[in-house]
Amino acid sequence: MVTAVDHLNLEIKRGELFGLLGPNGAGKTTLVKMLCTLLPPNEGSALVNGFDLARQPMDVRRSIGALFSVGERGAFWRLSAYKNLEFFSAIYNVPRSERHKRIMEVLGLVGLKEKAFERYQRFSGGMKRKLALARVLLPDTPILLLDEPTVGLDVISSRTLREFIKNDLSRESGKTVLYTTHYVEEASQICDRIGILNRGRLVACDTPDAIRGTVKKGEVVEIRVQSIAVAQIETIKAMDGVVDLISEVEDSVLNQRLLRLHLENIDLLPMVLDFLFKEKIRLIDLKREEPTLEDAFIELTGTGLGR
Amino acid sequence: MSLQELEKIYYFIKRDVTSFSTYKTNMTLMVLGALFGALSYAFLGSNATMQSVLQTYHISFKDYLVIGVAFSTYIGQALTLVQATATPWQLEEVLVSPTRLGTFIIGSSAWGFIWSTVVVFIYLAVGSLAFGVALSINLIGTILVLGLGISTLVGFSMIGAGILIVVKQGDPVTWLMGILTSVFGNVLYPPQVMPYPLQVISYFVPQYYFFTCIRLMMIGRSIQTILSDILTLALMCAIILPLGYVIYSWCLKTARKNGTLSWF
Repeated sequence: MVTAVDHLNLEIKRGELFGLLGPNGAGKTTLVKMLCTLLPPNEGSALVNGFDLARQPMDVRRSIGALFSVGERGAFWRLSAYKNLEFFSAIYNVPRSERHKRIMEVLGLVGLKEKAFERYQRFSGGMKRKLALARVLLPDTPILLLDEPTVGLDVISSRTLREFIKNDLSRESGKTVLYTTHYVEEASQICDRIGILNRGRLVACDTPDAIRGTVKKGEVVEIRVQSIAVAQIETIKAMDGVVDLISEVEDSVLNQRLLRLHLENIDLLPMVLDFLFKEKIRLIDLKREEPTLEDAFIELTGTGLGR
Repeated sequence: MSLQELEKIYYFIKRDVTSFSTYKTNMTLMVLGALFGALSYAFLGSNATMQSVLQTYHISFKDYLVIGVAFSTYIGQALTLVQATATPWQLEEVLVSPTRLGTFIIGSSAWGFIWSTVVVFIYLAVGSLAFGVALSINLIGTILVLGLGISTLVGFSMIGAGILIVVKQGDPVTWLMGILTSVFGNVLYPPQVMPYPLQVISYFVPQYYFFTCIRLMMIGRSIQTILSDILTLALMCAIILPLGYVIYSWCLKTARKNGTLSWF
């Protein structure tokens, strides 16, 4: 038996946009499936909107809207977007008198109002994803569980969807959103707090800035220089406190190189700069690199993530 | 065609044979299905069949066949309805909504039954108008027999669908029920024409009682004439329908627990 979610202790506040970050197989989808009552946990308990997962599953379902990473599979290909949503509005107990208004409202929200009566099978991948989101929004539940909502979307559609989730769903409508992704940028751009899941365990849980702050990776400085010899690069590399130095040719005509210096401590930087001045090497640019969320992730889990 | 192209065709066949041979259960079921099919057609063509039909139902073999074929469409639909509509991904989408399992099964199957009713009407109308099939329908009896017969087979359908949810491959229950319908179900010939040991099997098959009763209701007999058969069918229904529901629910629960619900 595989333990997909292990001793996870997590509280998401009402109205919060919480990002769950983790590599493939970390347990994100399993957790979402547990929270929407599809997958019963072997042990432990959870409350969703104050309702117990095991004892009040119907109340939990009435409180949530769940979008799965392959959300388009549940749609009916030969029905129009409107007819698909009409079916799901009945399934989600949307009152009959409000159905038409609500369907047109959510289609408008996801930008599919013009395509309401077009057959689903003619939709592009992005449109299918948007309709899946429209279906989730249909019952107007206080909690949304969005499992990798931008999977399969192009860059522009992804950005539009993220902004919609952040601005419309979270900020304006005050919905509580659990947003899973393995894209670091996505999580850091829109989430109030982030949890990093690795092999079923929550290894970090804080704001994106606070998680970045936990990185103990030393200091990385990028120095762009002109006319530096290989021997001089080797001298810098051999200096005390220089953990690593990566040198790349930036412009062979102008003889420019980018030195990516990994120092034990930022106080060691003057020593390197003194050497460059003494050797009359022209310094073009200098940049101190901030630790990224991805650095934090790698440090916490030992795994790389996609961007 | 060049040798190279022929070689490609050979590799297409090799690929399919290799792939097909991995489905051993399916292969066995297909071979057995062909054998049983041949057996049923052998009985269909015999004189004894026609004699038996005349003695049992007092109708022509043509009338016997039209009614049998019309309602076998219904039975075929009932047997596969739950599997066909309750696909794993639809299950997942519906099970996260505030919808009860019973509502989901009935809702998923309803249209199939409505459409089957239309098909049966077409069969009977064409049989009656174009081929002179003599119908004198006992409506209440027909509804009663249909209700019991379909409920029993939906029970089997739920068992098959449950197995499908867990094992993710062809379920033997639906296959077996299909074979039982065509060979022992009283669809194309009365089981009385078969050797006695095979006849006995028929008496354990709900389809036998269903087709016996529905034929008699189609020619206007009273419910009293089929009382013992209808009671047997009702007993089978009372056992199989709840059993089907329990097995389906258990399989669903198991797939949810194992996290394999949406696998296919």
